[in-house]
Amino acid sequence: MSLIHVEHLKKSFGKLQVLKDVSFDVNKGDVIAVIGPSGSGKSTMLRCLINLEKVSGGTIEIEGSTLVQDGKYPSNAQMRAVTEKMGMVFQHFNLFPHLTVRKNLELPPRRVMKATMEQVRKDSDLYLKKVGLLDKADEFPANLSGGQKQRVAIARALMMHPDILLFDEPTSALDPELTGEVLGTMKALAEENMTMIVVTHEMAFAREVANHVVFMDQGIFLEEGSPEEIFGNPKNERTREFLNKIL
Amino acid sequence: MEFWNIFLTLVQSGGYTVCLFAIVIICSIPLGFCITMIAKSKIKPLAMLARAYIYVVRGTPLLLQLLFFCFGLYYLPVIGPAIFISNRFASATVAFIINYSAYFAEIFRGGLLAVDKGQYEAAQVLGLRRGQTMFRIIIPQMVRVCMPTLSNEAVTLVKDTALLYSVGVVEILTQAKTIVNGTYNISAYFIAAIIYLILNTILSFGLKRIEKKLSFGEDA
Repeated sequence: MSLIHVEHLKKSFGKLQVLKDVSFDVNKGDVIAVIGPSGSGKSTMLRCLINLEKVSGGTIEIEGSTLVQDGKYPSNAQMRAVTEKMGMVFQHFNLFPHLTVRKNLELPPRRVMKATMEQVRKDSDLYLKKVGLLDKADEFPANLSGGQKQRVAIARALMMHPDILLFDEPTSALDPELTGEVLGTMKALAEENMTMIVVTHEMAFAREVANHVVFMDQGIFLEEGSPEEIFGNPKNERTREFLNKIL
Repeated sequence: MEFWNIFLTLVQSGGYTVCLFAIVIICSIPLGFCITMIAKSKIKPLAMLARAYIYVVRGTPLLLQLLFFCFGLYYLPVIGPAIFISNRFASATVAFIINYSAYFAEIFRGGLLAVDKGQYEAAQVLGLRRGQTMFRIIIPQMVRVCMPTLSNEAVTLVKDTALLYSVGVVEILTQAKTIVNGTYNISAYFIAAIIYLILNTILSFGLKRIEKKLSFGEDA
């Protein structure tokens, strides 16, 4: 059974159809890189998966449970239960600025999973160490660099023990010299078999870390395949054009 | 009367000033926040009502509202005598709470607009419920944004308490005027001014401390 199953996903903002007819499956341990020009619907697709946008039509199933069936949504409780298994990392980090790094990590599991302080402290130590920021635990986000903020955001997502992590252009807001540390953290996660969907402009990352690359254009999956296929021998003219421009 | 006598007399009548200030702050901040939330709610008639409230209260003089609640309410047809509060300080306090809650509602509205949409999204994605998101994530950030404006309103409120004079409650200014009239000496006004300055100095000091606490690692 696939972790994520998407069928005929459609999404319009008013008259603008952003996703035309997208179907795909994600299996456990997959690292999927989604590439493509701006406005191709990459972020919207990701946001639909985790219920930050409501679809206009189609079906999304997460680990066998229905998030939306033929454009119809279940109860709030059901949607919450389904999306719980996913974490998301945003382009602009979206750390809580009024909380220290540690509190950023600890508040959600404390409130959502009613975890004990002890459990949560063990986890926050573990994940902060993993992203190499244990020494920043008591800092406020304002005192961190962009790369550090994004690593904290990744640690915060991990605190909820997700089965799937979604990354929405995680390095696009970073200075070029800071992207490396974030990509390194993501690569480490991929090596631990975390299932990930990464919307990215980092072609090197897509090529090295992903096991599957999707090229999106104008609301459809125009071409997909292994990194070797997409980067080595793109079949579609638009894919070739895009890659030539960006590489 | 020499300086200290006047000073002490005025400080003694400052009880009403301080009481009014405290009650209005304690009541109108939560009330103002409720009005903001109602004005943002999806139930259209309620939202319209809240916006009308803000519009009317902010668009008319506080002095008029004071006179209305202290002297006018009684003459409202049918319900007037029933809802009229005979204690003038109490009616004046109600008028102040209504007036200030409308201003606070507007301040909070601005504060909420300043909180990034991404904060709601991050909270949702992490599984926080609506109430948790509001109280743990959004309101603390909103308060920080609002703090300078709230401080400003608080200082204004200290000065506005002098309007109690117009409804015959003996507070600092009323007392000062009586002394000036009785002694043919203007010094009571200066001393009253000093007392208001002292009150606002203490208040500003306290508010600055709160602002510092809310700086979240940035320079306040």
